[in-house]
Amino acid sequence: MENNTENFSPEDSLRVIQTMIDKTKTSVVDNSFYFLVWGWLVFSGALLQYILVVFVKTPANGAAWNVMFLGFIISIVRRVKNKPPRVKTFIDEGLASIWLCIFVVQILIVIIFLRRGDWEHCYPIFLILYSVGCFLTGRMLKFPPLVWGAAACWAIVILMTFVDAVTNMLLTSGAVLLSYIIPGYLLRGEYKKQLLNQPN
Amino acid sequence: MFKDLNPILHSQLRLAVVSILISVKEAEFTYLREKTDATAGNLSVQINKLKEAGYIDVTKTFKDNYPQTICKITPQGVQAFEEYVRDLQSYLNIKK
Repeated sequence: MENNTENFSPEDSLRVIQTMIDKTKTSVVDNSFYFLVWGWLVFSGALLQYILVVFVKTPANGAAWNVMFLGFIISIVRRVKNKPPRVKTFIDEGLASIWLCIFVVQILIVIIFLRRGDWEHCYPIFLILYSVGCFLTGRMLKFPPLVWGAAACWAIVILMTFVDAVTNMLLTSGAVLLSYIIPGYLLRGEYKKQLLNQPN
Repeated sequence: MFKDLNPILHSQLRLAVVSILISVKEAEFTYLREKTDATAGNLSVQINKLKEAGYIDVTKTFKDNYPQTICKITPQGVQAFEEYVRDLQSYLNIKK
């Protein structure tokens, strides 16, 4: 693009504004990575705990959740290794704030349940928290699978009130599959599709 | 009555840069160059003009030994862009 000022008409101005706004609209960021990492980790943690309770019958079944530390390591390594994005949108900033808040609240909930000892009630609380992140991300990115994932979480939370804590572990895996893992893969597909269609 | 269009913004490349920055929080120089298809030298000159007018903030940092130039629109820039669009609308309405 040249810096044309001589023959630059108001009609040209409108065209430049429209073109630039269109190009910026397609500046998508691959948000699927964290959904997939944390989704698979929660899925594995809940399933592993179920196996430890039902088949291994060990009282130390809570150790299954140590897999979550992998998520911290992977997230930190990715953040350090990856270049910062070349553009930051207001949506990126809003999403980062939402997930930071969810992370802090999650740590607080873990502390509360560890101190109180009634961990069997923690699963629906965590799912409610995850659903908030899924729903808001889905709405902000205009990506319905995440919104549907959040709705699936709500339905499973209701279901959880009718079954015992051990079944809740299995239901947690199912909920995470529907709200994080499947939408995460769909989001990755969408990102790749948008990259192919990007004007620049 | 028709008001003259802001001469700082009424330029193809400067208007393109401001149009991008109005829709994002901040953008790196290389991103702006890619989206506007401008040469680095030309873009650099126009960014400096926008900076001198107080329409954008330019931050130069280093990341892994590589220089990084991050541009962000200022409240003054947002106001100037909004006025420019209003003037453009009134101009186009008069023309009709």
